[in-house]
Amino acid sequence: MPSSAPPTAPVRDSVAKVNDELAVGSDLEFQRRWWKFERAIWIFFTLLIVLDVLGVFGRGPLAKARLRAADGSAEVTYERIERHKTPSVLTAHFGPSAIQDGKVRLWVSDDLVKELGNQRVSPQPESSRLERGGILYTFPAGAPPLAVQFSLEPSSIGRASISLEVQGRDRLSANIFVMP
Amino acid sequence: MYTVLHGIAGYLLLFLTLRVLRRRPGAQMTPFEFVLIFLMGGVIILTTMDDDHSVTNSTMGVITIGLMHRLFALIRQRFPRAAAIIDGETLVLLKDEQWQKEAMKGGAIADDDVMAAARTKGLRTLQAIKYAVLERNGAISIVKDKQRQDQKG
Repeated sequence: MPSSAPPTAPVRDSVAKVNDELAVGSDLEFQRRWWKFERAIWIFFTLLIVLDVLGVFGRGPLAKARLRAADGSAEVTYERIERHKTPSVLTAHFGPSAIQDGKVRLWVSDDLVKELGNQRVSPQPESSRLERGGILYTFPAGAPPLAVQFSLEPSSIGRASISLEVQGRDRLSANIFVMP
Repeated sequence: MYTVLHGIAGYLLLFLTLRVLRRRPGAQMTPFEFVLIFLMGGVIILTTMDDDHSVTNSTMGVITIGLMHRLFALIRQRFPRAAAIIDGETLVLLKDEQWQKEAMKGGAIADDDVMAAARTKGLRTLQAIKYAVLERNGAISIVKDKQRQDQKG
C-alpha cells in the first residue's frame, strides 16, 4: 500500500507587513480597543478591591451586623457576609432577663451547625438537647454581662437563615450570605 | 467537584489578570515579573486545592488545568481574532529611528528594555536598530539596521 504524502499548503503573504518589508502582523486598531478594554477591567478590579476593603464581600466593616431582642434578653453580633470555610465568630450577649434559675437557655436553629458549620461553643454548655429543629443549650450563669461565642466555619455557599432565642423570649433571626 | 470548578475559575481569573497587565511577563523575567508569578501562583493554589490533599484531588486539578489549556489552544488555532485576544498583538516599538510612542506606552516598555534586547544581538546603540517589535510572549525582537551596521563595521 503506498503511503500518502503529508498534506501541504503553499506559503502566502498572510502576515501583515510594516514598511512593506517586516511581517509582524500588528493590528494597532485592535490593540487600541484592547487597551480600552484593559482600562475598563482595571477600573472594575479597583472597584472590587474598594468594595472588599469595605467588607461587601465579607471580613470588613460593612459585613459586621448586630441584632437586639426588643425585650433586652439577648443581642447577637455576627457577620452578615461570611466566607466559605473561613473561621468567624458569632457572639450572643445576654441581658439580666435571660437568666432563669441561674441558667441561660439558648435555642439556636439547625442552620448554625448545618450551613454555618458551628465548630465550637464557648463556654461549654452544661447540656445540649435537640429541640424544634435546632439545639437548646443550657449554660450556668452568674451576674451579667454574659456572652456565648460560636466559632463558625461555613461549609456551604449561598444564603443561610439562622434564628436564636433565649427560651421563652423574643426570637432573633438573621440572613447570612456565604461567599464562595 | 470543587477542585474542577476552582481550577476553571482560577485559570480564567489568572489568565484575565495576566492578560491585562500590559507589561507581559514571560520572556522578560526581571525580578519585577518573578514577584508576580510566584505570588499569584501561591495565592491561587490555596483555593484551587482547598484543604483536600488527596491524590484524587491533585489529579483532578492537574487534568482540569490541562484541559483548559487545550481548549484555549484549540480556540486560538481556529479563530485568528481569538488568538489576538488570548496572546495579544505584536507591537512595533521602534521603526526607522522613531519610537512608536503609543505602542511603547501601551506595552509599558521603556527605551532601556529595547536596548537590553539590542545588546543581546550585539548592537551597541539604539541607532543601530531598524525595527524593535514587542512579541506576544513579551520578548523584544530586534531587526538590525544594515546600513548603520555596515558603516560601523
